[in-house]
Parts: sequence; C-alpha cells; structure tokens
Amino acid sequence: MTERIIQELIDSFGKLLMAGLKVTLPLTAAAFSTGILIALFVALMQIAKVPVMRKLVRVYVWIIRCTPMIVQLFVVYFGLPNIGIKFTPFVSAWIVLSLSIGAYCSETVRAAIESVPVGQLEASYCDGLTFWQAMVHVIIPQALRTAFPPLSNSLIGLVKDTSLAYNVALVEILATAQRIASRTYDYFWLYLEAGLIYLIFCSILTVVQRKAEAALERRR
Amino acid sequence: MLELRNVCKKFGKTVVLDNVSIKVNDGDVIAILGPSGSGKTTLLRCASYLTRADSGTLVIDGEEHDMNRISGKELRRYRNRVGFVFQNFNLYGNKTALGNVTLGLTVAQKMKKEEAEEIGRKLLAKVGLSDREDYYPSKLSGGQQQRVAIARALASNPEVVFFDEPTSALDPELTGEVLNVMRQLAEEGMTMIVVTHEMEFARSVANRVVFMEGSVIVEENTAEEFFNNPKEARTREFVQRSLSWRGADDASDGTSDGTVADNAPAGIEEKP
Repeated sequence: MTERIIQELIDSFGKLLMAGLKVTLPLTAAAFSTGILIALFVALMQIAKVPVMRKLVRVYVWIIRCTPMIVQLFVVYFGLPNIGIKFTPFVSAWIVLSLSIGAYCSETVRAAIESVPVGQLEASYCDGLTFWQAMVHVIIPQALRTAFPPLSNSLIGLVKDTSLAYNVALVEILATAQRIASRTYDYFWLYLEAGLIYLIFCSILTVVQRKAEAALERRR
Repeated sequence: MLELRNVCKKFGKTVVLDNVSIKVNDGDVIAILGPSGSGKTTLLRCASYLTRADSGTLVIDGEEHDMNRISGKELRRYRNRVGFVFQNFNLYGNKTALGNVTLGLTVAQKMKKEEAEEIGRKLLAKVGLSDREDYYPSKLSGGQQQRVAIARALASNPEVVFFDEPTSALDPELTGEVLNVMRQLAEEGMTMIVVTHEMEFARSVANRVVFMEGSVIVEENTAEEFFNNPKEARTREFVQRSLSWRGADDASDGTSDGTVADNAPAGIEEKP
C-alpha cells in the first residue's frame, strides 16, 4: 500500500461519505417510511378482513416477494418509459424499495398485531372504542414495540439494498467508488472503502436500535 | 333496569346457555356462582356483547336490544352505560394507570383531556391508587392492576358494572384489596353483577345469588336464603361443600379471617 493509495483513499473518503449522506440515507429514510405505511396498510386489510382488498394485498405481497428486486427496478426505470411513464433514478429506487419493505414487513407487522392479546381489544370495546380507534390507540402502539427488533433488521437490510440503485445510474456510495476507481484502477481499495462506509452507517443504526429498545423498555 | 331474556348460546354443538333469563334491579349486587363450565362467564360476556349470543333479548331502561344483532352505534352507546372488569385485568399495556382510565373518555366520548384526567384522578383516588397515576401496568401488582381496571370501568359513569371473576387471577393475599373496593362500590349503591368463586364476598356483599350449572340457572335467591336455606338439593350440596372447606381451614390454622381462607379452597376446587 503506497502513499499514493493512502492519499487517494483519504481524498475519496469524503466523497463516498457525502454520497452516503446525500443519496443513500435520504433514499433509505424515504423508502422505509413509505414501506412501513404500506406494510401497516397491508396488515390491517388482512386483520380487519376487508373484502376484496385483503385479496389484492396478498397478490401484491406474492408478486413482490417472488420476483427479484433488480428485475422490479429494471421494469420501473427502463421498462415503464416504453409506456410513457418516466421516473428519475432516485424515484425509481424509492418506489421499488418501498414496495419491497412494504411486502416483507407486512408479515412482521401482522404477526406483531396478532401477538397483542385479544383482551386488549375487548377492553377497548368495553370502553366504547371502535375497531379502528382501538387499533390506533391501543393495539398498533403495542404491536410496533414487538415489531421493533425485526423492523430494525429490515431497516439495516434496506441501507445495503440501496446499492442496487447503482444499476439505474443513481450515484450513491457504490457508484461513486466505481467512478473514482475507473480513473485510478484501484478497484480493490475503493470497493473496500465503499464497504467500510456501509459498515459505518449500519453500525450507527445498530447502536441507535439498542438505545431505542432500552428506551421503549423503560416505558412499559 | 337491566334484564336478559331467554339467552341461548352454543359453542359448536355444546350448549353453554340454555334459555337463561335474569332481571337486575337498580342497586342490586348479584353474585353468579357455580362450577366451571356452567356458563356464568359466557352469560356476562353475552350481556356485554363480547360474545355474540345465538338469541336473546337485552332490556336496559325499557330499551330492547337483540343480543344477536346490534348496530355498531347502538352497541357503543350501550357500552358507555355498562362497565366491564375482566378476570385478567386487560389494562392497556401502552398506557399509564391514568391513561387507562381516561382513554375511553377522550377517544370514545371525545372529552377534553383535562376534564377526563380530572375524572380519572378522582376514580384512582377512589380505588386508593392516587400515588400510582403514572405507573404502567407492568409496574403494578395484580391487585393494583385490577383496581385500576375497576376505575376504568367506572369512568363512563355506568349504570351497571359486570365483574368476571375479578379475583381469580390474583394471589390470595391480593384479593382482599380488590374485594374491599367492590364492597365499597356496593355500599355506594352501584348496581353490580359479579361472577365469582368468592363465597364470603357473595354472602356478605351480594343481595341476590344466582347459581348456575349445566348452562341453566339452578337457583335464584336472596343471598341470605341461598346460604342459610337453599331451595334446591344441588345448591345445598354446593353451599355445604364450600362451607365445609372453610371449617377445615378454620380448624387447621385457627385464623378465621374471612376472604383469604375462603378463597383458596373455592379456587382450587373450581379451577381447571
């Protein structure tokens, strides 16, 4: 490892970090929040046994879970323009990652809601609450607490999955590293450095998760 | 004020309630006694629509309701007029003691938060838990949780409160505090229907006793008559058995301090 490489790694570190902060993190945050809303919606349609919708959401989960994410990404970014629908790379990635989180986490959320004892719902009914009021004020808050560890898992997975957006020309961490390396041919070091950035981001999330879990624990 | 007429309920092929009727007057404290599986809890759950009866009529203050069909709106209106206390408390795990008492007021009745909290504080004081307002259920003992649950059931100022084996999930030494709160409520004239195994409570607090077995009411009587001079042979046997347990207990430890000694044997006898 020569001085030149060391200097190159120091120079590129800032660029990779900025790509992470400006692209990867916003994409993660956007996709995760949208995805959780979708997951909640899917879970509630099934639990409340809403006619038609409960069938439709199952079809959605089935399709998303049984096709590769990169194929979905290609369909959205390269395929949809054929029928006149164009999205930017960021928006394409946002859509596909949200749909993926929504499908995978819907099962987590549904299981968590069903793990809340039925007595909680009965007590809510006796208090005069409707089903949806009980969900919002009693059941979902407790379910999310149960779902927190597996959801954190999905969040950390999502940070890494954003690198798939490299394939639709989104200049995130991996694409930035690739661009620098294509000039200097130091692929080995630049890709290692890209990995290091993901490692740092995910480590921070892991620590935050642990702290948040402890805080939740104190509130019950 | 409250009447259940011809309540029928089957679980699959098993008949749980066979044409059960019961009439509750203002200020009544009715103890429903009977062995496990006799249908007493189901009767209470049907009366609050937690379990849907197959058929039956519920009359509250002259208003008739079908016990099998009721609109959501009517049901919520009815539920504000009755309170329900569960065997295993069912306090909201994500709410403090005060939050448990006020949730129905703020969410279902759209009451202002301050107003609801004032009511909540008063009720927690009534059950002796003013110093536990901000505690989450998991930080409270079973007896304290059940007292919070009673405060919650009282929040909507109900005309009648149903108690479903309110002390069965408690350690024997914690039943006293809950029974005392219930006794106090009864003395204030609250109308109560209590499914229980607490013979001493039934004898000293209830004014009427309903004895159920095999999905029907075997005997309905004043509490005094029920314990001293039961009409039915089966009732006599039941009363004698619970009293003989008590006698054995009195003899063995010499303390005849009411509820605790009474409770333990009855609990053992009737729980699966």
